[in-house]
Amino acid sequence: MRRLLVFLMLVLVCSSASAVTTIRNYVTRVDVVTDGSARVTVNVQLAGSQPGRITLPIGFGAMDNFQIKDAPRGVVLKPIPAKEQSIVEIELPDAIADEVRLSFSFGAPDVLGRPKSAPGERSKLPADTSLLRHSFVNTQETPIGTYQVDVRLPDDVRVHKIGEQLPKLRRAEVLPRVRLDRVDGHQGAVLQLTNLKQGDRTSMSLDVTTNNLSLTWLLVGLVLSAGYLFAFRDLVIPGKR
Amino acid sequence: MSESPASPSRAQNQKLMELLGMDKMTLSSKTRAAQSTSERWMRYLGFPGGILLFLLILYLPAGAGLSASAQAGAACFALALVWWVTEPFPTYVTSLVLMFLLLVTRTSDAKSIMYVLGMEVIWLNLLAFILSSMLVKVRLAKRMALWLILRFGRKASWALLAFVILQMVLAPLIPATAARAVMTLPLMIVVAAIYGATEETNNNFGRNLFLLNLVGISVLSSMTMTGSSANLIAVGLIETMGSQRVYYMDWVRVGAPIAIMTTMMMWVLGQKLLFRIPKAEQTPQLEGGLDLVKQQYAEMGPMRGEEKKAIAIFSLVLFLWMTDAFHLDWFGVEISAPFAALLGAVIVLFPRYGILQWSEADIPWHLLIFSAGAYAGGLALDDTGAAEWGVRMLFGGMDLKGVPFGISYTVVIAVMMYSHLLTTSKTVRTLILLPIIITLAKALGWEPISFALPAALCIDWVVGLPISGKPNVILFSTNQYSVADNFKYGVLTCTIGVVLLVISGATWFHWLGLTPSFWAVAP
Repeated sequence: MRRLLVFLMLVLVCSSASAVTTIRNYVTRVDVVTDGSARVTVNVQLAGSQPGRITLPIGFGAMDNFQIKDAPRGVVLKPIPAKEQSIVEIELPDAIADEVRLSFSFGAPDVLGRPKSAPGERSKLPADTSLLRHSFVNTQETPIGTYQVDVRLPDDVRVHKIGEQLPKLRRAEVLPRVRLDRVDGHQGAVLQLTNLKQGDRTSMSLDVTTNNLSLTWLLVGLVLSAGYLFAFRDLVIPGKR
Repeated sequence: MSESPASPSRAQNQKLMELLGMDKMTLSSKTRAAQSTSERWMRYLGFPGGILLFLLILYLPAGAGLSASAQAGAACFALALVWWVTEPFPTYVTSLVLMFLLLVTRTSDAKSIMYVLGMEVIWLNLLAFILSSMLVKVRLAKRMALWLILRFGRKASWALLAFVILQMVLAPLIPATAARAVMTLPLMIVVAAIYGATEETNNNFGRNLFLLNLVGISVLSSMTMTGSSANLIAVGLIETMGSQRVYYMDWVRVGAPIAIMTTMMMWVLGQKLLFRIPKAEQTPQLEGGLDLVKQQYAEMGPMRGEEKKAIAIFSLVLFLWMTDAFHLDWFGVEISAPFAALLGAVIVLFPRYGILQWSEADIPWHLLIFSAGAYAGGLALDDTGAAEWGVRMLFGGMDLKGVPFGISYTVVIAVMMYSHLLTTSKTVRTLILLPIIITLAKALGWEPISFALPAALCIDWVVGLPISGKPNVILFSTNQYSVADNFKYGVLTCTIGVVLLVISGATWFHWLGLTPSFWAVAP
């Protein structure tokens, strides 16, 4: 009898453990505009969906103009802005399909800009450089299968360097944590991470600079070349010194 | 009565005798004199050529996956590469220019650039040169060189072969290639001098001797998986990413025959094809020839106490280098190669009981600066992602799906082999290329090890340019050969390696079960 009870309890525990909504894919597209703000579009694919509420962390602080782009009937999405990381509460109705796709967008201010220096402190960034920093912490219980952030920059700027890309690559990972690419003339970066458990964090920072390269390099290079060719002509013309 | 001037041969002999005395055996920082019209033109056009290439890369439209710092880093490295090869001014000055350029183009920050001078490899070079100075001061290097010549030096070919055998013996014992280079450098310089090859008067024996030693030091490291730390990284990657274990003897079976065959082929081809040694230079160039060498050796008398002390110190360092795998068990800490050399240097410089005064140590700072610049450039390419981007573009631009195994295999081997011309670190190259090669093998439907292990055998073949590796920098500093000589010899070595690896892939490796049939097409 006791064994039966233990067995039943185990079955209950297992079934309750498996009956949790999981996030299979979580893709965020960030379209940055010239003033440094961005339009953020989030596409989420839920699996094993169960009626009830799940909390979706968003890797952005302030958010405005929240719009639902795609959600099954009865699903309620509620944005809750926060200073560091906002969240979106997702209410799933009773009759919900196993696999659910959701899409929403919002505006995010100050995605790209120059970090504020403390009074009296000098900025460590060059004058023509801005910083784009994105960090995300999985604050909810269920793991996220794939987390991807796809940043698109305005067409007059490009990435000078990837300042930070965390977590470091695991030994079995091949692709870099942050990969740069270019779509329709816009340079961008893709941050990708798989299997985020609760508490796992990922972040990237991009130093962004203008696309226009100074002509100083060209002028200095030409002057130096001409000067060398004249000053060292004795190398090839004997007696010319 | 006026004295007649000394004849050229007597003057040359005087110079050789001085070198044999090794009092002036310093690694000169002088610029090598351009020795031909083409070399003079290379120097003249190399300066603007480097700048032109720099500007071209810098102003190219931004690449899809390339950051601005990666593009600038590639431009800086290209400029330095052109200047290192054409030598418009000394290589160490080019290194300093490169370091400055990395800063002003915002490729790297000041800390990352300056840090290279504190790298383990620079320390190892510095300390190994102190040990090398000890060998020179106590005349042990001279004794060993004379003995080597008396034993094997009746003909140039045998003297060269003696060095091949020496490097073959040292390679499995001492993983640090820089240490092997520094250890054997005094011998090389003296033997070269005996055959008439000096810093001022280069000859083909000297070219063959130094470049064959370079091949011996680098290529023979690929005989065993412990031949270099990069080999062990490759084994680790094959195990973690390819889920296939490579045992010590697995590596030896495939690596040793190819390394030994290539070195022996270069021993022949170097003196018969690339740098032909005239009949007149086949014997020692000292007036009096071997008799004089015999006389010199006899004059040295029995081994003195100082020499024995030097042997004891060097043996201690060698022992620590050879037993690094057991240090953790013995001492609770691993005494890495630089620290073993550091211990040796402490004993050598010890007051009253040591062998050297600091002022007697011949430390070629210009060489360390040259190395530092090369490393700063190489690390910048790695840190900014420029190197990885280049490799991805290369493999991404080829459609190897559905082609026979042999073709994909040949491409992988060739890329791995020649890629060393664009990097300065075996470790970085391994970390960038091996994961891509393993992933490529999986994507094409082949066992990862069938690509990865043969590719890993190419890791140590860094013989193409003076900046390609630590021994390259050390041997190049002797001014016994030009960058073009190095390039010619190195590319031929690598080409022989590729050919042998491809032939082995189709036969020997296939019989061992490492590779599938060369014409097999993955399902």
